[in-house]
Amino acid sequence: MTEPSVIHDLGYRPYSGPRLSQGAIVWSLIVTGLRNAFGLGRSGKSKVLPFILLGLNLFPALILVGVMVLIGLGSLPNGYAAYASSTQVLLGVFVAAQAPVLFSRDLRHGSITLYLARPLPATAYALGRWASLLIATLIFLLLPILLLYIGAILGELDFTEQTSKAAMAALLALLLALNLAGVSGLIASISTRRGFAVVATIAVLLIGNGIVTAIQGIAIDQGESGYAEVAGLFSPYSLYRGSAAAFADGSSIAPPTGSGMETAYVVVFVAIAGLTLGGLLWRYRRVAGS
Amino acid sequence: MEAVVRTEGLTKDYGPVLALDSLTVEVGPGVTGLVGANGAGKSTLIKLLLGLIGSTRGQARVLGHDIATEGAAIRAKVGYLPEHDCLPPDVSASDFIVHLAMMSGLPRVAARERAAEVLRHVGLDEERYRPMGGYSTGMKQKAKLAQALVHDPQLVLLDEPTNGLDPAARDEMLGLVQRIGHDFKIAVIVTSHLLGELERVSDHVVVLDAGRLLRASRTDEFLDATGALLVEVLGDNAHQRMALALDEAGVAATARGQLLSIESPAQDRQGRDPRDLHDLIRDTACDLGIGLVRIQADHRRIEDVFAQEPAEVTQP
Repeated sequence: MTEPSVIHDLGYRPYSGPRLSQGAIVWSLIVTGLRNAFGLGRSGKSKVLPFILLGLNLFPALILVGVMVLIGLGSLPNGYAAYASSTQVLLGVFVAAQAPVLFSRDLRHGSITLYLARPLPATAYALGRWASLLIATLIFLLLPILLLYIGAILGELDFTEQTSKAAMAALLALLLALNLAGVSGLIASISTRRGFAVVATIAVLLIGNGIVTAIQGIAIDQGESGYAEVAGLFSPYSLYRGSAAAFADGSSIAPPTGSGMETAYVVVFVAIAGLTLGGLLWRYRRVAGS
Repeated sequence: MEAVVRTEGLTKDYGPVLALDSLTVEVGPGVTGLVGANGAGKSTLIKLLLGLIGSTRGQARVLGHDIATEGAAIRAKVGYLPEHDCLPPDVSASDFIVHLAMMSGLPRVAARERAAEVLRHVGLDEERYRPMGGYSTGMKQKAKLAQALVHDPQLVLLDEPTNGLDPAARDEMLGLVQRIGHDFKIAVIVTSHLLGELERVSDHVVVLDAGRLLRASRTDEFLDATGALLVEVLGDNAHQRMALALDEAGVAATARGQLLSIESPAQDRQGRDPRDLHDLIRDTACDLGIGLVRIQADHRRIEDVFAQEPAEVTQP
């Protein structure tokens, strides 16, 4: 005869295992945030938008690679650095929609309090969130470059030339990602409403770019290409186009001419990334103190 | 035993508002109730203890760590249940609490184990896998309590854990608070605006009023502190005869409903100690030939502290 099974209530058991360092905690925050940015670990419908955007973003690259390999073109029909400009709307919508997932959500629902009551300081939390968004944006920007590069190598184009071009495009992609993550993150951390953050980010990134492009067009029509180059300093996308035209295989209607203007483009590009990150850290220091 | 929280002259000045005014208090193990009206400084005290805001003056140690310099070490060992909503609606309690355990530094595997265990302790069963947006207030409070416990803290700060709960859920929550303090051996600081609740669950009570310490002592001292006796007697005109006889013996007695309230020995005009007072009541009743039904201590309530004149404010 078997003994009747018994459920033993062990009561409360203390935890005596290891506790990880702050660095490990930040890493775990970054990984979770990156998963959340693509809707992983969240509801099913929150996966739809990021993956549709990612798919659309990669689709032209896949076709280009297919054409490269099947037909055997002598050069890439579309440059590495030019690719991001041609899919900039998808990119803008992606960061506008996913930055609130990382920033507005915790503020909106008050869960920021639970993070702040844990070992990480507010600035480390903000850095972790920013890093998640940056990596997500980089995945968006670097995957097509990687695909094109693989296509170019399979199409037996010159290895050294392709590698240096792809590396330059990757560097510019990093600068663009720093800008996009900074701008959209800062907006999302100020707005607790997701809808407002989405609209404001799209306005700043895409409409801002539209205005800059219009001004550049008018200035060139009037024969004032100097003004057109200066106008390009006022939007992340036009900065990217200008830098890509100056340093890589991109094209712009008003690329910076002369080393002074080229330097200005790089300085402003880096400065926007730094200032928006600084603003983000300042914002979270205030959230923690209130 | 080592104090869990010790503050010395802790002051937080927000400019127009003096949120906390030179608070000196010590909190030990077990359950401590933190009482005070809205704006009395409870939330400010909690934020200071978590090292989230800096103090204007004074200092405090939590679990032996200085709040000014060792905030991260304190937050690793302290759990916090905020008063307001803090749960994202699109995540399940299980996933969210695993994540927060990792934010407290637990490795993933340990975080999963602890989360499951703690959710069982607070009584969230199958619903732990559902998004928290669909939870009732009671379930949300349980999830909030679980996240405060998941990293096995040595102290939990519970801000109004019974807020918005129906009577059954409130009883369950108070039972949990008591278990945490006594069975789990985790020190608890719990705030509530319902003083009756704190009388039930807390071993100590700290009363704040307008940022100042009104009183800090054991809960039973709050309840027994009057020292007055309530006496019930039976017989013809018994109450009046008893009161008169006691008055002649030099002890003031006043009628309170069906009972006689007999002043505490502290106010005894002839300096008797309490045992003599019991004897006196017994002897007086015997002499008068009236039935003595019962003698009981006159229990106060925590509310009485607020009714006291400011001149009677006591420091521990």
